[in-house]
Amino acid sequence: MSMERPLKQYEQDRQEAVRIASRLLLASGTTSPRVGGVGECTFHTIDDECDVEDLCQKIESMAGENKGWKFFTRDAAILRDADAVILITSLRSLTDPSDINCNMCGKLTCEYLREEEKLPKEPGVAFTGPLCIFRANNIAYALDGVVSAARNLGIDYGVYWSAGAAAMRMGILPKDTGFALGIGISITEKSPFRDIPLKFAEINQRTMNDRIIQRLWPQFRSIYS
Amino acid sequence: MAKIEMQDLIGQGLDRAVEMMALAAHNSFRFGKKNTLQMIAVGNEELEEIAEFCFSLGDMSPLAARDGRFVMELIKEPCSLLILGDKRKSVFNYNCGACGFRTCAEMNAAEEMESLTANGPSCQFRNLNLNIAADAAAAMAWRLGLHCRVFSTLGFAAKAMEVIEDCDLVVSVSVSAAKEDPYFDRHKFWTKEHWDEIFDKEFPTFNRGFIGAIED
Repeated sequence: MSMERPLKQYEQDRQEAVRIASRLLLASGTTSPRVGGVGECTFHTIDDECDVEDLCQKIESMAGENKGWKFFTRDAAILRDADAVILITSLRSLTDPSDINCNMCGKLTCEYLREEEKLPKEPGVAFTGPLCIFRANNIAYALDGVVSAARNLGIDYGVYWSAGAAAMRMGILPKDTGFALGIGISITEKSPFRDIPLKFAEINQRTMNDRIIQRLWPQFRSIYS
Repeated sequence: MAKIEMQDLIGQGLDRAVEMMALAAHNSFRFGKKNTLQMIAVGNEELEEIAEFCFSLGDMSPLAARDGRFVMELIKEPCSLLILGDKRKSVFNYNCGACGFRTCAEMNAAEEMESLTANGPSCQFRNLNLNIAADAAAAMAWRLGLHCRVFSTLGFAAKAMEVIEDCDLVVSVSVSAAKEDPYFDRHKFWTKEHWDEIFDKEFPTFNRGFIGAIED
């Protein structure tokens, strides 16, 4: 065992740490409180980098649909640097109001909420509300369960609702999902979720690599060889 | 060193703990840039009023009545209630559609529905922020080793009684320094006869051989 450890081993271990961490965060999110003690949230981990790329492309393609969603391109650029994305869903908020007549949705009773017509599934609409907000609040508990575990474990995280909306649009979440959020996690030396400069969607490490190295290096090579 | 009695230690410790919870809630992750959350902590006197109000709702909501009865027991030992509230209108401009309106501007312009429990329609992300803060407070209580439960019913009562003012959405986190965890497995509030009766009513097929017959 006196051999020097290869860097590849570190990279493999780091990726395994991501897989283990995402399961541990799932555990903490699952055991966080639920309103009325009734379970309805599911967690879906996307830790394959190709799948994360698919998700990011979907987020980018949604950015033009609504003038409030311009930041989606930035979210996609950030999430490309994430090691995994945990998607949290609420399965009952769309179809099954909680029957406590809390009026958070503004419809006074759950019967009126059931009769209310939902928004159509079309571009520019992320979630087809009105949702049962009392149920969808479970997402907040699940989210903070994940976040507080991530803080305790020392794992970098970032919360992006655009990822949840895009995943719902892609059809990779259960069909009754009313509301979904994404949490990017990263086990790297610099958190990709902090220190986001202006125009990050256009100017980030990837695009800088593309522009500077891919453009300059071939010329440099042919001239100076 | 001066001697401090156990009762004082526990009481003062609980006060500090509620401060820590409020701090954790205040600094938790939330959407948007502005912190619009409001928080208060209440002691036994207000808790007693809230409990009586909850109990008086017995006909409308058995859940509220149960929690009211429970709080009367709870305040016999050191306890506190952290109440968190927020306004309902969107400040995010996310246009996500979860509230049933296509844009935040439409939601903010919609007619307000007032009720005892909450005023709607409310922004989904405002609600998430509020409940994330509640969960952060609960997580801090858990780390401090306190008994803890998040109550919507007590929050609704606090809003209805205007214990917390100028809020549309309210939730509460109750903590206790009792010898046993008072929040779960609260069997003492139900007699066996009552339990059997309700169970038979709710799950009639469980104790019945032939499920085709319909009684009463």
